[in-house]
Amino acid sequence: MNVEKIVQEEIDMDMTPMIDCVFLLMIFFVLVIDLSQKNLEDLILPRAVYSEPDDEPPENRPIINVLQNGTVVYGGVVSYDPTVDGKNYAKIKQLLLDIRVKGLAEKTLKLVDKDIGGATAKVLDDPILIRADKWTEWHYVGEIMKQCSQPEIAFWKVQLALSDQDKETGEKNERLKK
Amino acid sequence: MSALDDAQEEAKADMTPMIDVVFLMIIFFICIEFKVLESKLDAFLPTDKGSQSTVVEPEEQLSIKIHVASPGVPDYTKYGGEGINENTGRPNRFKLVGHKVRWEVGPKPLGSIEAVKAELDRIAKDPNSKIPDKKTGGKKLMSVVIEAYPGTYYESVSKTNDAANAAGFKEVNFGGGLGSK
Repeated sequence: MNVEKIVQEEIDMDMTPMIDCVFLLMIFFVLVIDLSQKNLEDLILPRAVYSEPDDEPPENRPIINVLQNGTVVYGGVVSYDPTVDGKNYAKIKQLLLDIRVKGLAEKTLKLVDKDIGGATAKVLDDPILIRADKWTEWHYVGEIMKQCSQPEIAFWKVQLALSDQDKETGEKNERLKK
Repeated sequence: MSALDDAQEEAKADMTPMIDVVFLMIIFFICIEFKVLESKLDAFLPTDKGSQSTVVEPEEQLSIKIHVASPGVPDYTKYGGEGINENTGRPNRFKLVGHKVRWEVGPKPLGSIEAVKAELDRIAKDPNSKIPDKKTGGKKLMSVVIEAYPGTYYESVSKTNDAANAAGFKEVNFGGGLGSK
């Protein structure tokens, strides 16, 4: 082996550890970003064609999950369990009140004056998202909506989560097939 | 070192870094796939304006009632049987088999969502469905109230809402207070 070859060998840089590190960093960031999805329970949303894409959701929008049996989950914590609480929906009301109080204190929610039937009322101008499973009884969703419309809570922008794809049947909307 | 030795050295490839990278890529794509699954729970929002527990000016709203025709049976077989999922702490999900609903669009009873769509299309095109618009002074299509009776599931309500949006109804309200089954 001559001197020239030895020098060449030293200059050759092994890229593998750097690529390893880059991939590890990417995985780390993907997982960190994924943590922001902890507010989403694993539900199968009903498919709808004529709906508005939720491409840019508001940053601090409260997300209320309703499981198949009617259990209400907020931020990974069960707030109302129909097997325990039955028709006592006070816990749902309390949850919404807590979201309101916390949101107003942290300035993530804001109140505006709105004309309702000729009278001015203070309502929350920020949306709240209800995510329910396709096989959730409607009256649980209806109950949350009813509580949202109470004057002491006053979430008037209630949004219902839907999907472009029914994960149970595999049916997709045309825009996903493209 | 002979030329033959040099050639032999070049032919030897260390597979370890390549396997490292392949494994990392597998892990990376698995993680990406999980994220896609979560974000694939795309939230699409119907153009509703919240709940309305009382029906105001019923003569100017189109009522769509949803009744349960057949309650159906929960089928847990695909999701690990009835009970609590040990990993998530949540009840195992089910698929409702044989659940059927029937609709009443205005006074007209209908048995399928296709019939509901057709009826809503017909009503939307009817000039008598236009009501005075207090804001603009012109005319607008009347609003729709979906009234889900006890035992109705979100699936049926969202399909009905979708049919109303497809027909061009801009205001969809949800009647409340009909209670549980």
